[in-house]
Amino acid sequence: MTKKLFKDRDDFWRLICGIIAILGFLLIWHFGTNGTRLGEIMPGPIVILKSFFEAFTQKTAGYTIFGHTFWSLSRVLVGYSVACVLGISLGLLMGRYRLAEAIFRPFYEMIRPIPPIAWISLAILWFGLGETMAYFIIFLSAFNNITINVFMGTKSINQELVGCAKMLGANEAQVFRTVVIPATIPYIFAGMQIGISSSWAAVVAAEMVRSSKGLGFLIVSGMDINNISQIFVGILAIGIVGFLLATIMRGVEGKLCQWNVRGK
Amino acid sequence: MSRGANIKAVNLTKKFGDLLVLDNMNFEVEAGELLCVVGPTGCGKTTFLNSLTNLYQITSGQILIDDEPVDLKKHNVSYIFQENSTMPWLTVEENIRFGLDIKKVAEKEKKERVEEFMEIVGLTPYRKFFPRQLSASMLQRVSIARAFATKPNLLLMDEPYAQLDIELRYKLEDELIKLWEATGTTVMFITHNIEEAVYLGRKILILTNKPTTVKTFLDNPLPRPRDIASEEFVKLRNQVTDLIKWW
Repeated sequence: MTKKLFKDRDDFWRLICGIIAILGFLLIWHFGTNGTRLGEIMPGPIVILKSFFEAFTQKTAGYTIFGHTFWSLSRVLVGYSVACVLGISLGLLMGRYRLAEAIFRPFYEMIRPIPPIAWISLAILWFGLGETMAYFIIFLSAFNNITINVFMGTKSINQELVGCAKMLGANEAQVFRTVVIPATIPYIFAGMQIGISSSWAAVVAAEMVRSSKGLGFLIVSGMDINNISQIFVGILAIGIVGFLLATIMRGVEGKLCQWNVRGK
Repeated sequence: MSRGANIKAVNLTKKFGDLLVLDNMNFEVEAGELLCVVGPTGCGKTTFLNSLTNLYQITSGQILIDDEPVDLKKHNVSYIFQENSTMPWLTVEENIRFGLDIKKVAEKEKKERVEEFMEIVGLTPYRKFFPRQLSASMLQRVSIARAFATKPNLLLMDEPYAQLDIELRYKLEDELIKLWEATGTTVMFITHNIEEAVYLGRKILILTNKPTTVKTFLDNPLPRPRDIASEEFVKLRNQVTDLIKWW
């Protein structure tokens, strides 16, 4: 049975340990909030889980939890996709070509240390309170992480591999396509994974500023009406979606990077 | 069978800043030659090889392949590095195919050559393996197969067996001789191992220490297979050693 479901015994035991750890955490949470002072400000896991499943059918501000998740996810995917395209392109260009590095790196290094949240005020003035503002904040938070990873990855390519391709008569376009891009793929995935986490953080922040739908809105409106369960439902949904996105990303990386220890 | 290239260096000079590394080198390598290049450690052997192929731009002089200035897109040259230079994201067969893809060889011929050279170096059972799953000797065999699969007119080898143990080295040296005899490629094999140079080379080029110049060319008439314990072998090895020692 275990042989069919799991690659090896380690995978099986890892899953068992994970389940035990989560159950242990829920038990501690349950007894820690049951009839204690902590329970006055924090509901127990049973209440939260009940609210979470109720949110599947009950609407808050016109949407179920699926609707709010969809809105947040759609915002993330727009900002994140643009960040992936531009971040990967810029990272590859700056890493491979000195001229591109000389031109773009000073701008990038100035923008990189600024937390995305710090851009919110400017983004509201530039784009108003609509969707574009959220896309922009999400884009910035993912773009920084993706670009730096791809840039460092391109810089760290074994130059002997580049020399080897050149010796075989490869022109620059062939070197770029057959050596630079494949060698950078693990770094691209590393950047994309960090980027998706920071995108989730950014979407919540953007939705907290002003929005009428999305998981960030769900959390803020829960705070406004003093509904702690609703806040936890929003947090739980963010955690689950984040976990699913990371798992999908790891699966794709595993397929594309079988040659690499990370992708193994 | 690929035709070996004729190599000519005329007043080859290479400087790194003010540091003179290659000093006015003149030599010619006949087509189909297996030339071993020896010299003291750190004498600039790798610089010499990299300069031959424009990987380093030479300061002055000329390098001619078949009487034309060297052009890697035009001349069919392969290079085997000292370090592992297999592409980690490609399987064994994809690595061997790599050079053929770059040279845009026809698909049918590509398949045939990959099969042929994978078989010669004994890696057919490992065709789907990635480099991280292979031993050092297998990796070097992949590099050799990749280099020979393009049927180069000139094959440059920069101490390719320096990091292998002695048993594997002997095995791969014999494989190289077999491939060279079968293809007629001109091979320039750099080594600091005098025994290896005498075992492999039909000619031996001895370099001086920095700045590197050509000390002498030696013919190696020993019949193959060569016996490293034979009197003639030991005599030639000692002669090369003396030439390197007393310069």
